[in-house]
Amino acid sequence: MADTIKKDAVVNEDELFTFVSNDSIESEKIIAPRYSYWRSVFRVFFRKKSNWVAITMLVLLFLCSFLIPAFCTYDPYENVTNATMFNQSPAQAMRQTGGFSFKWLLGSGQIGNSIFYGIWASARTSLLLASICAAINMSIGIIMGAVWGYSKTMDKTMIVIYSIIANVPYILLISVLVYIIGSGFWSFVFALTITGWLSISYFFRTQVMIIRDREYSLASRCLGTPIPRIISKNIMPFLTSVIVTLLATELPSYISVEVFLSFIGIGLSAKVPSLGRMIQEGQVAFRTYPWAFWPPVAIAALLTIILYVLGQNLADATDPRTHM
Amino acid sequence: MRKYIWKRIFFSVLSLLAVTWIVMLLVFSLTDRSAIFQTDDVWNKRSNNDRVLYEYTQYQRYGYLEFVNFTAFSKAKWAGVYGDSFDSSKEYTDDRNVIQKVGDDYLKNQTVQEFIQYYESRGYTIVRLDPIRYSTGAKQLKPGGTGYLLATKEKLIIVRLWDYIKGFFTFETKRDVDDPELTDRYIRFEKDPYSGLFAIVGSGTTHKYLLYFDGKFPFIHQNWIHMNLGVSFTRYRGQEISSVITDSQGDLKTTRQQYPNQIGTDQWADTAIDFHTLTYNTGELTENEKQLFPDKYTNATYRRDGLSMIGTSFVIGIIATIFQYAFGLPLGILMARKKDTWIDKVGMWYIIFFMSVPSLAYIFIFAAIGTSLFGLPYKFANASVKILAYILPTVSLSIPAIGGLMKWMRRYMIDQMNSDYVKFARAEGLSEREIYSTHISKNAMIPIIHGIPGNILGCLVGAIITESVYSVPGVGGLLTKAIAGHDNGVIVACTVFYTTLSLISLILGDVLMAKFDPRISFDSKGGR
Repeated sequence: MADTIKKDAVVNEDELFTFVSNDSIESEKIIAPRYSYWRSVFRVFFRKKSNWVAITMLVLLFLCSFLIPAFCTYDPYENVTNATMFNQSPAQAMRQTGGFSFKWLLGSGQIGNSIFYGIWASARTSLLLASICAAINMSIGIIMGAVWGYSKTMDKTMIVIYSIIANVPYILLISVLVYIIGSGFWSFVFALTITGWLSISYFFRTQVMIIRDREYSLASRCLGTPIPRIISKNIMPFLTSVIVTLLATELPSYISVEVFLSFIGIGLSAKVPSLGRMIQEGQVAFRTYPWAFWPPVAIAALLTIILYVLGQNLADATDPRTHM
Repeated sequence: MRKYIWKRIFFSVLSLLAVTWIVMLLVFSLTDRSAIFQTDDVWNKRSNNDRVLYEYTQYQRYGYLEFVNFTAFSKAKWAGVYGDSFDSSKEYTDDRNVIQKVGDDYLKNQTVQEFIQYYESRGYTIVRLDPIRYSTGAKQLKPGGTGYLLATKEKLIIVRLWDYIKGFFTFETKRDVDDPELTDRYIRFEKDPYSGLFAIVGSGTTHKYLLYFDGKFPFIHQNWIHMNLGVSFTRYRGQEISSVITDSQGDLKTTRQQYPNQIGTDQWADTAIDFHTLTYNTGELTENEKQLFPDKYTNATYRRDGLSMIGTSFVIGIIATIFQYAFGLPLGILMARKKDTWIDKVGMWYIIFFMSVPSLAYIFIFAAIGTSLFGLPYKFANASVKILAYILPTVSLSIPAIGGLMKWMRRYMIDQMNSDYVKFARAEGLSEREIYSTHISKNAMIPIIHGIPGNILGCLVGAIITESVYSVPGVGGLLTKAIAGHDNGVIVACTVFYTTLSLISLILGDVLMAKFDPRISFDSKGGR
């Protein structure tokens, strides 16, 4: 031991070290692999093979439900005077209309409407409704929730409003609203969004409150960071995965709510094609004419399950702890 | 703790009032009120002014407005002057004739002027319905064409709310029956010939038996206090909703009984009348009724063999809830124990399926499987064996509910599994089974316990889709049918009922959680 030390000591120090220039800008840089948050999110997300399958199916469903109604207009009343077309199985319907056609691929419904065109037109309504409602509710809910969670004076009034409205059963509120303002597409959107944001907002408020009082946030406030900047830079990045998780449950839930409300007869009006109404019409004789009943059920189930699974996986991927 | 609960109850009542007010505001002022006449036979039969008058009568009955008919005003005025012989007086006849003249002549009448002045000063609006004749100047009136003069006043929603609260509970007293012939009014203990025990019997009260025993659960019954949730406008026209949902349904159940006057003799009758529900008959009694009853308490409801609407829903719901907890909790614990094995994965798919697929879809899948594979009855009313009809609705409710409970139980178990106390228990050498069954699951149960009261009380609300798919005669469709049928009274009643249940279950959940977990305290002060 002592020998080595002695040996080293003999070597001239100048041969071992050279001075580097003292660059203050360079010295601030941290040498680490480049990390981009969103790139890592998608890397993790696409590593799973099942997500590729789900995305392909979702894209197909989207294309079908926006392209098919755009080119082949769905008119439920086209055969309303032609009783021979009512409740026909695919084979019968095609025989009557002369040869194979996509239109009668799934037979006809109780007023001679094409089921195949119907499910896509309805799926488009559902997807539009879900995305519009989710966009409105999520954006209002998150902005309000962030302010609500941050401002203590606002908390006092909002918590009273919330506790009153949260006590009203959800279905009651929506159905009473639909009853009052009518059942068109936009009034339905209005009914779903007028109070829908409140529960999102409340959930978000709790999350914001937890992070608001963390040390780094407190320190930032002491340094005089303006509140909007604290919210957008200190708190929001932490909540990205929370937002995506929320979106993953919200988006399919609007499809379910629409199906549910149209089924019980207080949802969209008869003029708007909707999965709930098709299911409701098909359920009357779902064992005798199964082709009119199961396709809309299958589309509704498929849409919600794909949106849900994709959303959950995306939410998992947005959690930085999975970015290893 | 007690103080906290009182505070919670106080705020819940406030919240209930606010909700009721909001819903009343929405339903009574923003919807088309004339929709209640769409299915009204009386309205359809009437025409012209009589129809309008009928509308006002119904609006008054359902609390929309108050109105006074000029004829009643004039009657009261001249009865004050001439006593009982007012209807032969010239002035009264003049008053009655003047409003049957077309044109503005009626305004010159003295009584009309008084009427208008009196009610306009009180904020009423005067409505004149001109008589409708076959042709101008013709003598004969068209059917229902009688002229009317009315004073009406809209009720404010806040007044309606106050009336609703005032009338929410009614107590029967011995002065309830408005009948001068009835002089012997009392409320007393009497021997009840139908149960053999004692009962509180009233005379002058609406019901004869105020408190009595019988062989039906819960064995002691009362007719003393009534809860008035609201009156149905269309579907159950004029009926009180709380009685609609609690009256038993089904076929009449005839038994061998004795009418009150037959007691003590050897005469028996086969009847379904439930003699404990006798109410006062203000009309004239028939000869037959006079023979059978000692007093004017002759109206009664019939015994039926089915459950009430709320009973049906509750039975289905409570069985489903029992299944939910009996299977959901152990399965959730199992999933957490076998985390990341095939058991967990299968369980996750089960949960995801029921979370994401619309309930409508899987209920029909259950219906299809149950009817084709097991031959179970599909529609409730068509079941040859009544018990079999309950199977599909119960299964359809419990299987998804099990998934929901499994999800939370697994989540809470996994959250607890990394706690220090688990590591400590392991270090002490406890077996894995012991750790999971006593230590972890006990802590994981705390948030689950919070939901139990809500789940049980939720059974009283019924299941909307399940009941509509299997045509179960329950309360689930009450609200949706009320909305479809413009039954505004029922909408308000449902709001109050549902909101009350959800408020009660929240408070009960908190109390139960605090009882179960001594660490939870509701006291704001104190605490070490």
